[in-house]
Amino acid sequence: MSKSGRRSGPESSHNGDSQGNNLADATWASISYILGGMAVYGGLGWLIDRWTGHSALFLPIGVIVGVALALVLVYVRHGRS
Amino acid sequence: MAADVQLASSCHLFDAGCGFPSPGLNIYEFKPIFSIGAFDFTKPMLLALISMLIVIVFFWSAFSRPKLVPRGVQNVGELGYLFVRDQISRETIGKKGDHFVPFLVSIFFFVWIMNVMSIIPFAQFPVTSRIAFPASIVGMVWLTYLYLGIKHQGLVGYFKNMMFPPGLPKWIYVLLAPIEFVSNIIVRPFTLAVRLFANMFAGHMLIVTFSVAAWYLLGFHIGALYSATSFIVVVIMVAFELMIQALQAYIITLLTASYISSSLEAEH
Repeated sequence: MSKSGRRSGPESSHNGDSQGNNLADATWASISYILGGMAVYGGLGWLIDRWTGHSALFLPIGVIVGVALALVLVYVRHGRS
Repeated sequence: MAADVQLASSCHLFDAGCGFPSPGLNIYEFKPIFSIGAFDFTKPMLLALISMLIVIVFFWSAFSRPKLVPRGVQNVGELGYLFVRDQISRETIGKKGDHFVPFLVSIFFFVWIMNVMSIIPFAQFPVTSRIAFPASIVGMVWLTYLYLGIKHQGLVGYFKNMMFPPGLPKWIYVLLAPIEFVSNIIVRPFTLAVRLFANMFAGHMLIVTFSVAAWYLLGFHIGALYSATSFIVVVIMVAFELMIQALQAYIITLLTASYISSSLEAEH
């Protein structure tokens, strides 16, 4: 896998050069995204729970929404070619 | 050290009132070798210093008087260096990455030797199973890729490229940008450190558990069979750990290279 043209700037991102993307790279990045999504939206849900006095209503909703959005992000970053 | 105490106690399965002395977190805690004020110098620190010396002395003797036709230790040193350059740096960053190969070589060999300490007789403790060691290495990696990102893409450009992947409807950025930020700035270093720490922690725990069990199960009758089984598991686990130690050193270096690469140029 050579580097030439593997990554590119935002302007030239649609010329299908992500084919050569490192698989391990994408795998670990995906895990970071999913953990990040759960943390951000789960955390937001937890805050809303505390604010509204629920014990655990928005936290699970937030975690699920977070994972869903993270998967969108994985697709955007690594799924489109 | 606590495992030594457990092994020294002559407590076996068939003795009355003798429970299994299962190893716990105490096997990761050491009495200080010496103390300077509130600072305790412990065995993991000593092993880390020894690992550092091993890496320095090895590469010093390999490259202090380089010959055009490498011989002896220089051959081995070049093999190690070229492995990191060709298999990790060139694969992930490309030619531009040659600049960072010394950093990657240091991380790879330092982490590897600290991991291998797990199965060296008398050392027998993976230094990286104390999270402070992976955490401080990852701290350096974190500062490096943040610095490179800001240097190569500009302060605004770096965060813009990180948080706003191009070609999406505007409203969705509000939802996705926080995930990008958290996963790049917080989750990445966290997982990098925890992956190394947890693997070495678990491996050491397995080896100690089966070693203690081999001693605990020992007896003159059927106990000998139990004990032998447990001992064979120890041998297999040590071989397995030998592989995991190299693999974890490889993975932390590979991901460091990958993070550096994503800082040098904007993600697509």
